[in-house]
Amino acid sequence: MKDAAHKGTISSLARMAQSLKLVNRTSIFRNLTEVWAESMFRNPETVIKRHKSLADVPGPSAASFLTDIFFRRGLSRLHELQLQGKAKYGPVWKASFGPILTVHVADPSLIEQVLRQEGKHPIRSDLSSWKDYRQCRGHSYGLLTAEGEEWQQFRSILGKHMLKPKEVEAYSDVLNDVVGDLIKKLKHHRSQNPEHVVKDISSEFYRFGLEGISSVLFESRIGCLETTVPEETEKFIQSINTMFVMTLLTMAMPKFLHKIVRKPWQKFCESWDYMFAFAKGHIDQRMADVAEKLSRGEKVEGKYLTYYLAQEKIPMKSVYGNVTELLLAGVDTISSTLSWSLYELARHPKIQASLHQEIQGVLQGRGIATAADVAKMPLMKAVVKEVLRLYPVIPGNARVVSDRDIQVGEYIIPKKTLITLCHYATSRDEKYFTNPNDFHPERWLKKDESHHPYASIPFGFGKRSCIGKRIAELEVYLALSRILTHFEVKPENPECLVKPMTRTLLVPDREINLQFLER
Amino acid sequence: MAAVTRLFSGSRCLLARSRSGISALQRAAGRSLGPGAARLYSSENKVKITFINRDGDSIVAEGKVGESLLDLVVEKNLDIDGFGACEGTLACSTCHLIFEDHIFQQLEPVTDEEMDMLDLAYGLTETSRLGCQICLQPFMNGMTVRVPEAVADVRQAMDMGKSS
Repeated sequence: MKDAAHKGTISSLARMAQSLKLVNRTSIFRNLTEVWAESMFRNPETVIKRHKSLADVPGPSAASFLTDIFFRRGLSRLHELQLQGKAKYGPVWKASFGPILTVHVADPSLIEQVLRQEGKHPIRSDLSSWKDYRQCRGHSYGLLTAEGEEWQQFRSILGKHMLKPKEVEAYSDVLNDVVGDLIKKLKHHRSQNPEHVVKDISSEFYRFGLEGISSVLFESRIGCLETTVPEETEKFIQSINTMFVMTLLTMAMPKFLHKIVRKPWQKFCESWDYMFAFAKGHIDQRMADVAEKLSRGEKVEGKYLTYYLAQEKIPMKSVYGNVTELLLAGVDTISSTLSWSLYELARHPKIQASLHQEIQGVLQGRGIATAADVAKMPLMKAVVKEVLRLYPVIPGNARVVSDRDIQVGEYIIPKKTLITLCHYATSRDEKYFTNPNDFHPERWLKKDESHHPYASIPFGFGKRSCIGKRIAELEVYLALSRILTHFEVKPENPECLVKPMTRTLLVPDREINLQFLER
Repeated sequence: MAAVTRLFSGSRCLLARSRSGISALQRAAGRSLGPGAARLYSSENKVKITFINRDGDSIVAEGKVGESLLDLVVEKNLDIDGFGACEGTLACSTCHLIFEDHIFQQLEPVTDEEMDMLDLAYGLTETSRLGCQICLQPFMNGMTVRVPEAVADVRQAMDMGKSS
């Protein structure tokens, strides 16, 4: 019996040694774990006691956090609250976001630890107002909201067409067409202004984002970049904005409050209604075109996502659900990333000049870059990585491990707890990035000792990471390379600082106005 | 240990850049092996691979030239826990494998996309690659690849320690 106990200790030690490696990246943690391992060797029972429970996790009182959220513009400053929380309580703290208790994790090693335990069908959050809406209206879930086997089915179908680098290259041509229209539109805007200023570049990039994702989904154009934008597309973009603002609000409000303060939930639903209707309209249109072609005996070839989805044995309702979610996921993300990229490049003329030189060096006089071209642009990639480090479109992500308690640092977090991954806090942490608030793309070309791979993961990591990652990157590279080939960008007013704000996603807090000088 | 981890993460970029150069050289060397070496390959373009699993056990499997190591694991249903979670879409690093030096040097150069995922892998070594990106070639016949240690769930380990 004693022997068996000894064996058990040894084998558990060996396993522990493995897992310790995981958390060894930070020195504070190393010290902690070393002490812990030593004591484990002496007596495993004492180690159990060293683990702290959810009750031990520090954090603000529910009342003070609610005051922050509702009375101090806290919802739009959620990313800053990450920094404050970390400064005050350390890398792990808990807070009640309305009715939901969530544990914040704001250290790269701990984020890594959570993600490595996310399981076979990772769950982002099971308390989502997005799911409530779908249940309420009888819509199907899409990739963002589905869970378990259903989610796995969607992910498998879409992943092979959206993430494999070779498959993604195939979207170059359609995306380049859209970029061409963006350049025309920018030329038009700058010609309307005596100083060649384009006001509020984000709004133009919203349309670009929507046109881009539509071309990938439907392989047809929907006219967002025409001189007069169709009313329905403007309304779609507006619906996304409203929905994102209302997402946080409706989640922070306890359910009983929805019955008293009806507006947020109502607006939230109306926005979704419009988006679902918009997507359905375009899918049905595309399907009707295909049916007509077939009836005339013409050959139908599809290299677009809706077609791939419809080929599979999934209900039409699920196609609607997925396309709606993919559409909205491709708009703000692209718009914010492009807006911040140009904003920072305009403020850093030397970096802009180096990037322009890199682009010209690769293109050798050709006007339009391909996927193979942008693969040869390390500075371009570093610029976008740096932009997403400073302005991660998703400032905080979440995970729920539903079937077992997991260890996070010194705590055991009970199953089903909502864990908030504070990406904004880690990507602005001076421990991992020197001068963390400075735009310094070179840091990605020469990673130093302090680099931690999990400190900036704007697309997430693992099987539930962003499925649009590679298409989005390609789209941004193609757009930036062509914009910088045509124009030199300068700030309209160098004094005007733009800061990020949270609207579920991280977006610029005011208009970005840039001067576009023809090269 | 932490220092080693840091060293790796710091040198990964350099590593990536130097890889392409080495592999080109080695490929040339591989070709010069001549017909004698070719006889070593089994017929019908079959390649024999030995996987050293996490528990130290060996699994031998035979795959076709051109298919990836991930395809081989899936097709032969090899018992490697959690392998290839993202189904070869380069979104995770669960198909991380460690190669023998001489084989590693002959592999196709690593792309930025694979490098980004390797950077996030657990237990990265100087000869790590992702199995989904490595397609079987005749020169790999007889090679051994090692599955890196898994991230154990500390909680389970401790519970076992307590109960035994």
